[in-house]
Amino acid sequence: MDNREDVEIGRVAKELINQLSVVLRTAQIHDPNNIAVVSVIDKMTALVNHLIVSERVIALELRGEYFYINELRVRYALEHLLNFDFLVREFKKRELGSIVFKDKISPEDIKVFIKAFISSTFSSKPFDVIDEKLSVVKTITVDRLKKIVDEGALEPRKMVKKAYFNAVSYTRGVINKIQSGEKVNIKKAKRVVETMVDQILEQEQLLLGMTAIKDYDEYTYHHSVNVSVLSIALGQHLGLNRKMLTELGMVALFHDIGKMEIPYDILNKPTNFTDEEWKIIRKHPVWGVRALLKLKKLDTLTIKSAIVAFEHHMHFDLSGYPRTVKGLELDFFSKIVCLADQYDAMTSSRVYSRIPMSPDKALSIMMERAGKELDPLLFKFFTNMVGVFPIGTLVMLNTKELGLVYESNQLFAARPRVMLIMDTHGNRIKGHVADLTEKDARDQYIRTIVRTMDPNKYKINLAEYLL
Amino acid sequence: MYPTNNPIYINTLDDNFAKLRDFFYDHDKLTLKIRQNDILYDAEQVYFSTDKEDNLALFFFKDGLREITFSKGLTYEEMEDFLRIISLDFNREVLDDDLVTLFWEKDFQNIDYVVDDVVLSDEENYEERAVEEIKEKGPSEDNLQKAYEDAFRDEEEIKDVSIVPLADRDLQSLVVELERDSLDKIGKLFDILFEMLFMSEKNSDYDDLADFFMGAVEYAVGRGEITMVTDLLARAKAAADNKNYSDEIRNCATRIIYLSGSETVINLLGEILDTGQELEEKIIEDFIRYLDRNAIAPFMKVLGELRSIHARKIVIDALVVLGTKDIMTLAKGLSDSRWYVVRNIIYILRKIGDKRAVDHLLKTVKHGDVRVKKEVIRALGELGGSGVLQALRECLEDPDIQVRSAALKAFGNIGSEAAKKILLGRFLDKNFKDKHFDEKKEYFEVLARWKDKEIFDYFVATLKTRTFLGRAKNVENRSCAAYGLGLTGNKEALPFLNKYKNDSNKLLREYCFSAIKRLESG
Repeated sequence: MDNREDVEIGRVAKELINQLSVVLRTAQIHDPNNIAVVSVIDKMTALVNHLIVSERVIALELRGEYFYINELRVRYALEHLLNFDFLVREFKKRELGSIVFKDKISPEDIKVFIKAFISSTFSSKPFDVIDEKLSVVKTITVDRLKKIVDEGALEPRKMVKKAYFNAVSYTRGVINKIQSGEKVNIKKAKRVVETMVDQILEQEQLLLGMTAIKDYDEYTYHHSVNVSVLSIALGQHLGLNRKMLTELGMVALFHDIGKMEIPYDILNKPTNFTDEEWKIIRKHPVWGVRALLKLKKLDTLTIKSAIVAFEHHMHFDLSGYPRTVKGLELDFFSKIVCLADQYDAMTSSRVYSRIPMSPDKALSIMMERAGKELDPLLFKFFTNMVGVFPIGTLVMLNTKELGLVYESNQLFAARPRVMLIMDTHGNRIKGHVADLTEKDARDQYIRTIVRTMDPNKYKINLAEYLL
Repeated sequence: MYPTNNPIYINTLDDNFAKLRDFFYDHDKLTLKIRQNDILYDAEQVYFSTDKEDNLALFFFKDGLREITFSKGLTYEEMEDFLRIISLDFNREVLDDDLVTLFWEKDFQNIDYVVDDVVLSDEENYEERAVEEIKEKGPSEDNLQKAYEDAFRDEEEIKDVSIVPLADRDLQSLVVELERDSLDKIGKLFDILFEMLFMSEKNSDYDDLADFFMGAVEYAVGRGEITMVTDLLARAKAAADNKNYSDEIRNCATRIIYLSGSETVINLLGEILDTGQELEEKIIEDFIRYLDRNAIAPFMKVLGELRSIHARKIVIDALVVLGTKDIMTLAKGLSDSRWYVVRNIIYILRKIGDKRAVDHLLKTVKHGDVRVKKEVIRALGELGGSGVLQALRECLEDPDIQVRSAALKAFGNIGSEAAKKILLGRFLDKNFKDKHFDEKKEYFEVLARWKDKEIFDYFVATLKTRTFLGRAKNVENRSCAAYGLGLTGNKEALPFLNKYKNDSNKLLREYCFSAIKRLESG
């Protein structure tokens, strides 16, 4: 197969995945015989049958966060982002690993598949339901989702932890080196960020969970890494490619580098800042630019880092600082980092305001700021990413169980996965993670969030649960 | 070592790919384990070296690579990309990426690798220590109990953060935003640096800023973003001239302009020009306009190094503009060892037209290269001034006809009485008549430019002169005089010319005839 064929198959593959997503979404709303459903099924049938001529068999497989068609990884396209994401979640929810089209198909075959797919929604063994109901169709088969485990590789949680702490350790080293006038190794920074990008692509929720732990002693370093992680995650939801995600992660990692110039006594002051101290604090964006431009010879990444360091407090409506003579239009990365920065700062206990907030409260404040301090479009993506109940939110359930949000749910924002920490009788428990999308035999949700609480107020050590 | 279209390069790749293809005929994967000094395949050592410099295993190992796996399905392009990456010169400072980053960016589909990230951590056991510390800060059960109890009080309720589903319109807006963001950021950096200039407080701030601007200008020029730099210089000039700004700001702005004409910047511009990248001359002209005289010397240096004629022309035009700011510096280029540089500098001085250049030009009249001599004679002819006529007079006796011819034209350009006298004096020279016909003709041609009575009478007299001795040479002189009369445009010459238009000598006849035609047609 030459490159041109690869490109053509890649294009058809993208369309096929997109169309499958459209079919499933439409079928979840309308009856299978509805004209809207019939029309999208016909298009899907045509796409499969077109590709089958050259490929003979089409295996659409989900591996990690990526779809592969006949071993060719299908790259995300921005215009199909939502549909790709939808399909990934749906496949995962049903433990569906692959769909294999073994020959030309008919619209009826797709209808059987749709019915099987939809009827598996509330089953405890969704894949088995699909597999069984699809057995009447000879041209389409399915396989169970395989867990991706590299031989000898560490389990995902350990890898995520390692990536996170490597980043913190590196950031700490960079700040120390700059302060002592030593040369900084940028190659290492790229490696650190690339690892985080990989983890975001593979284990987004786990890495976001690391950012929810706010009691680290070394706030400055953790904050830099958290902002980097949150920015990369948002960037991924915005459809940025891996290279752009690395750049974004890098500029976010260094966004606060100017703070190293702020005297220690001010940075760690336990009470509110005086006007004079605020004046000093407000200089850190400019100091950041200075530090970055002195770091190494100018290149694209340094320029982008300097821009973000300068702009990350300027605000969407330019009401922040530094105030500029010429009206600047904020850089795209600056707006992303600004969101991540505000969210992490508000939910942390060592920022200037000294009052840490619960993640959901921070989000509600940020919602008020959207359109003023924050870019409303990006905020929309951000809330879709972190969910109504971000990781680390303390929640009371209708079952009188107390829990911590453990993983957000992209499809059902109000129904995340929750780690239960107190049972219905108020006894401390640990370990069980409940999926709030679970329903009982009467098709009712088993658990629902009735109240959110501030974990900081009760000094709940998130690390104990999330690390 | 070889360009990518070299047959040796292509054959090597083809051979390698053929070997891999043969291997994958029987195997699905080729996994190489990497250790500090050796590479293993299937537990068997296939490479070994203890060398510190030339050691492929160490080359992979030091960046954390511990295993590389090539899979069946490996494409030719992937293999070539892989080999290209490992062939890069990683010792060069400019390379900010290590092997792993470059592999990562390629996102190979059929090459996997295992990396030990221990090289990334700055501290041993940092993770363990940090986790231990954070876990030690665990809460007392009472707090958790209290949270549980509080949950039943009506103190806090679910916050109303509604998640607005993303719509197609959001994605369209995002695409627009991303497109806008793809533009080069250097203009933005200039904006920020200017903002910082107005925020600066200490002397060291201004020093830093001048360095930052310098770096940014070099970056922009290196990428051919000349217009951006011109805009920056325009702003710097406006700031330098604005008396409402502090002296520090104005001085810094002046430094920016000065530094933009540094050797580094001009060298970068030269490189860009020499690559053949299409740059409108107007863009360079606008840029040059803001530079200071310190840019002259670097431009002159670049002039001697450029390979393309187009680039040299642009630099010459730049020096014509810049040179007016410092003729002395420009004139130093006349001592350059390369004849073409000297000739270019003479051209530039001529174009500038500043008479202060004459003294310097006179020193090059005796240059060893005829092409330089011709250029300087032309320049002197256009500039005129004291000492020029004497130098040109000497040139009329130069052994090279091209030099003599240039000198004649220069006299014509000067057009003064003194110049005329010198040329007329040359006719009295006993050897004049023996000059080649074409050279003599050129004398008459140049003298015709004066168009005055003295010249007219002299030409008529020459036309009429008959001799017995040296008759052939005399006819040549008379023919030249006829030619000269035609050029004067004076119709009073017609009766004299008509008299000889039927002369028995063919040469004289033809020249008289041509001159008559010229005069009659006006």
